Amino acid sequence: MQGFTATSTPDLAELQSTMRAIEHACTSIQMHLNPGASEAVILSLGQSSQPYKTCQFILENSLVATARFQAAAAIREAAIREWGCLSADDKRGLISFCLCYVMQHASSPDGFVQAKVSSVAAQLMKRGWLEFAPAEKDALFYQVNQAILGNHGIDVQFAGIKFLESLVSEFSPSTSSAMGLPREFHEQCRRSLEQDNLKTFYRWTQEAALSVTNRIIESDSVVPEVKVCTAALDLMLQILNWDFHSNTSDTKINVNVFSAGVRQDGDSPKRSECHLVQPGSDWRDVLLLNSHVGWLLSLYAALRLKFSCEGYWLDCPIAVSARKLVVQFCSLVGAVFLSDDGKMHEQHLMQLLSGMIEWVDPPDVVSKAIENGKSDSEMLDGCRALLAIANVTTPYAFDRLLKSMRPIGTLTFLSILMSEVIKVLMTSNTEEETWSWEARDVLLDTWTAILTPINTINVNALLPSEGIQAAANLFGFIVECELRLASATAFNDEGDSDHLHASVSAMDERLSCYALIARASIDVTIPLLTRVFSERVARLDQGRDIIDLTETLEELYSLLLIIGHVIADEGEGEIPLVPNTIQTQFVVNDVEADKHPVIFLSSSIIKFAEQCLSPEMRASVFSPRLMESIIWFLARWSRTYLMSSDGIGEKIIDSGHHHEHSSKKALLCFFGEHNQGKLVLDIILRICLTTLASYPGEKDLQGLTCFQLLHSLVEQKHICVHLVTLNSWHELATAFSTEKGLLLLDTAHQRSLAQTLVRSASGIRNSEVSSQYVRNLMGPITSYIVEISSKNNFKSIAQQPDIILSVSCLLERLRGAASASEPRTQKAIYELGFSVMNPILVLLEVYKHESAVVYLLLKFVVDWVDGQITYLEAQETAAVVSFCMRLLQLYSSHNIGKISLSLSSSLLSEAKTDKYRDLRALLQLLSSLCSKDMIDFSSDSIEAQGTNISQVVYFGLHMITPLISMDLLKYPKLCHDYFSLLSHMLEVYPETFAQLNSDAFAHILGTLDFGLHHQDADVVSKCLRALQALASYHYKESGNGNIGLGAHTVALKDSNGNVQEGLLSRFLRSLLKLLLFEDYSLDLISVAADALLPLILCEQSLYQRLGNELIERQANSTLRSRLANALHNLTSANQLSSSLDRINYQRFRKNLNSFLVEVRGFLRTM
Amino acid sequence: MSDEEHHFESKADAGASKTYPQQAGTIRKNGYIVIKGRPCKVVEVSTSKTGKHGHAKCHFVGIDIFTAKKLEDIVPSSHNCDVPHVNRTDYQLIDISEDGFVSLLTENGNTKDDLRLPTDESLLTQIKDGFAEGKDLVVSVMSAMGEEQICALKDIGPKN
Repeated sequence: MQGFTATSTPDLAELQSTMRAIEHACTSIQMHLNPGASEAVILSLGQSSQPYKTCQFILENSLVATARFQAAAAIREAAIREWGCLSADDKRGLISFCLCYVMQHASSPDGFVQAKVSSVAAQLMKRGWLEFAPAEKDALFYQVNQAILGNHGIDVQFAGIKFLESLVSEFSPSTSSAMGLPREFHEQCRRSLEQDNLKTFYRWTQEAALSVTNRIIESDSVVPEVKVCTAALDLMLQILNWDFHSNTSDTKINVNVFSAGVRQDGDSPKRSECHLVQPGSDWRDVLLLNSHVGWLLSLYAALRLKFSCEGYWLDCPIAVSARKLVVQFCSLVGAVFLSDDGKMHEQHLMQLLSGMIEWVDPPDVVSKAIENGKSDSEMLDGCRALLAIANVTTPYAFDRLLKSMRPIGTLTFLSILMSEVIKVLMTSNTEEETWSWEARDVLLDTWTAILTPINTINVNALLPSEGIQAAANLFGFIVECELRLASATAFNDEGDSDHLHASVSAMDERLSCYALIARASIDVTIPLLTRVFSERVARLDQGRDIIDLTETLEELYSLLLIIGHVIADEGEGEIPLVPNTIQTQFVVNDVEADKHPVIFLSSSIIKFAEQCLSPEMRASVFSPRLMESIIWFLARWSRTYLMSSDGIGEKIIDSGHHHEHSSKKALLCFFGEHNQGKLVLDIILRICLTTLASYPGEKDLQGLTCFQLLHSLVEQKHICVHLVTLNSWHELATAFSTEKGLLLLDTAHQRSLAQTLVRSASGIRNSEVSSQYVRNLMGPITSYIVEISSKNNFKSIAQQPDIILSVSCLLERLRGAASASEPRTQKAIYELGFSVMNPILVLLEVYKHESAVVYLLLKFVVDWVDGQITYLEAQETAAVVSFCMRLLQLYSSHNIGKISLSLSSSLLSEAKTDKYRDLRALLQLLSSLCSKDMIDFSSDSIEAQGTNISQVVYFGLHMITPLISMDLLKYPKLCHDYFSLLSHMLEVYPETFAQLNSDAFAHILGTLDFGLHHQDADVVSKCLRALQALASYHYKESGNGNIGLGAHTVALKDSNGNVQEGLLSRFLRSLLKLLLFEDYSLDLISVAADALLPLILCEQSLYQRLGNELIERQANSTLRSRLANALHNLTSANQLSSSLDRINYQRFRKNLNSFLVEVRGFLRTM
Repeated sequence: MSDEEHHFESKADAGASKTYPQQAGTIRKNGYIVIKGRPCKVVEVSTSKTGKHGHAKCHFVGIDIFTAKKLEDIVPSSHNCDVPHVNRTDYQLIDISEDGFVSLLTENGNTKDDLRLPTDESLLTQIKDGFAEGKDLVVSVMSAMGEEQICALKDIGPKN
């Protein structure tokens, strides 16, 4: 496609023909006629050199709106690209053309064109922001200000406000458009606008809004001023959304250090989602002192009265914007208020609350109105305002706010409001998201905001007593509703497959928030939960075998989830503490520890759970789903309470702390190792055995048992010590290693079980005994594998499904055990793997067509090697390495050149996925081997046995790279692994790379080339690092008179007589091409610089030649001299030398950056 | 189509050793299963419950390993399913006839001439060309429940 001619003064005929071409392209795109060609026509306008006259002509003369739109876009594209070459007058001229255009056409239809031109003006203004003198900016803004003041009519006023809106959004980092400039530029613009202009803009907007307010309030129908006022409200909202920095003491860090009145607790993840509005003290006059809020509230109050009028309704744009702004004002915080103990802030919030309370009060009336068809938006915005207020106040201050206008405190109101919302939610009970859903979530967030500090401070210090009462009432109501919901949905069968996981994680956030509310009034809620729980259990006892218990089972299921959340925290990998309120709220003496409400509740749950051991009870009461909640509860509960570091409890007595901790002490002692702890642990283990053995096929339940409960028990050292002394644990171990029953578990569960059982060896104090334990546990499994693989007829029976099943199960178990290797059991695990080395190779041969088994084999080896390699002595390393090589060889000989011929496309793609997984495992294996050179705990050097890890890994790579097709590299994880390993290898062992044979070498280079043009910046940067390593290795070596990469760098003639460039020349060429002409992430520039420098140094003459070619290709003489200059500066500015040290790399990075900013724009011009 | 014939064929000589019982809960993705009398590769397993407090059941989606037809089945987790005995044998390719039938060399030195190559045109030419070039080709034959089919092909040299 040829570009549009770019003479500086095109004649009229030419302009018109271009306009017609563009118009034609635009209309045909809309009608889907030949879209490719039309798109090319449109694109070429923006890509041509200096298309401004043409674009302006189109904007002013074309009758086709989309053509005008495209012309504006073309101005933007060309100007941003050519900015460096434009004269100062041109730049200003373009901006003021756009501004004038917007103002002049303010009342024309086709708003999208005006919006586009307006945003082009904003972008160009930003592009020149740092170079324009203040006077120049003032001149441009004068025009805007005149417009906004309303001197030229409503439409122009609107256009002015809209222009400021695009300007502000252009300067705000999250919404700015890319300009191909470094991040610092955007940051400087942001800072400058915030300091010099933002407040002025706000004031202009205020004035504009004020000037139209009376007209709006006075008239009974919609007037044009409404449009202006809405735009003004939106702009105010946008400015208040600005991420204010400059008022903080340290301008770089975005933290609210100055916000004196705000709580500083950062422990609520929710908090970050709530945007705090924190302009500094200099905004006080605009936002607070001029009764701005009063104006806003009265405007909205006036609007409310008009909702019955024509053109106004609850969700009309102006009402929506006004409400949003009210909510935004609730989030206002920080130095903008006087430091007068929060009086001014409180006054401000009270004013807002008095304005918005009618939206939600009285809750029952409002909710009824909504059910009868009123819009829910006031209700929701009211809830959001409450959330915003809760985020910026302390609970006491929050509670006080309402008291001046209502007989109750805000907390009590919040509790009533939320009860109402939950009531509606329960009665509607639909799947779709209703207003009550959203309102509940917002209000829950509000409670979270208020109550989160409960985890660190005493309830009474946090909340007024009315607030505690309000929380208690609310929680009681919540429990009632949840139970009602449970029994109502007990018979639903929506086939929610992974229900417990899904429902727990979906409900988890909600439940933890319920738990916060419960903990605010813990001395009421624990007895309540205990009562409800025993009632339900009693109901089971009475109704057993007589009536259908499903509803009660479902209620118990919900109840266990709620109780679990209330009395214990998740811990997220750490050992959770007893929740603060439970520690402090109960006063109990030691003698009556079993009467401690939490102990009593826990004990009754455990006692109930224990009944599942009886087969009759199992059949009639303990459904799989109920068991799931029991296992979940036991896992969560035991992390906090079971044998939980009695040590800490005792220390507290010693240090003379008093009853404050006696609740915690009583709790921990009761379930401690010297008291009920072991007994409870034994019960838990027997329950686990039951779920594993007596619930056949219940994968979810067994998964929870293996992954959550058993896993977490073993993770905790103090529990593990007792675990291994219990008979029940050894029963589990024996069942696992010798009985057939557990072979029916899901294989992933068997793996986890093996891992858990092996890991428990850490609880055995004597290291010899613990090794023996592992040998006993895994011995039968390895001997089965050894035995079966050496059978004469193995080849003929191997394909039988039952044999495949048991081999797979046992391999999974081996893998589990291998991944549980710890220093103390390392020897035993090594022996285990060593004994199956040969059988593994036999299995790999026999099962070469059985991809599932192959994958298991590989994964076992990967995990085993990964766990062992750093500990192995030289001889062992040699054995392992040679085993791995044989494995790789065998795998590669089975798979190379293999074509799968299935008829089914999905089976073919499965086969591809299998291959991908295998290769990924093999890459992991090579990476693990690689790590031996980095971390090695063995006593002698592995070189002693003649093992050279780098050669081994290269050999491995050589074997598997032919299997990695470019197609397979499209799998992101494989691609990532492959390039990680490759760049690591090239960085650490470039000398070995040089010794590879030419096939392997060529293949690896091919993949590097592929990686350089990958879309994932991470992959590209890995390839660049690999290139850097190669080039700098060669440069340093050849500088020392060595051959470096030797023959690989020299151009060769291949068999067909074509010249093959040497690798460094080839990559210099492709890297330069990438940097100058292709699209890439700006973050890559510094890595690219690091690769480019040594490449240039190695191939200086080629570089000169390429540079000259570039210059000669440039037709325009000014551009040509600029390019020559830039190229010269690239290699000579900043005292760049020809050494490869840190400083030099840094200099070159700077040079490359400025080089690209200088020339990339016009080089990419067509 | 030919599915019906297959059905009868497999029924005729499906002996006890052709399939093995296995608990439904232990059958995983990528394993095999018999659905509606056809040997299938499992491409999807999901579990659900019969009612909230009922027992688990498995939902299998399988692909017939010979006809590539998709089949589905639901079985309670604790019940047994039939799993086909799927065998694969490698043979050296010694000839391709005009009508697409191949001649294979068995381990004991006899030839096996009753199988044909896949009908896919491009694949077929690829194989024929490779064979004509003198490459050594090994063919994997998959058999289950009395049916056989060529399932994979491998080039084992000679390299030049």
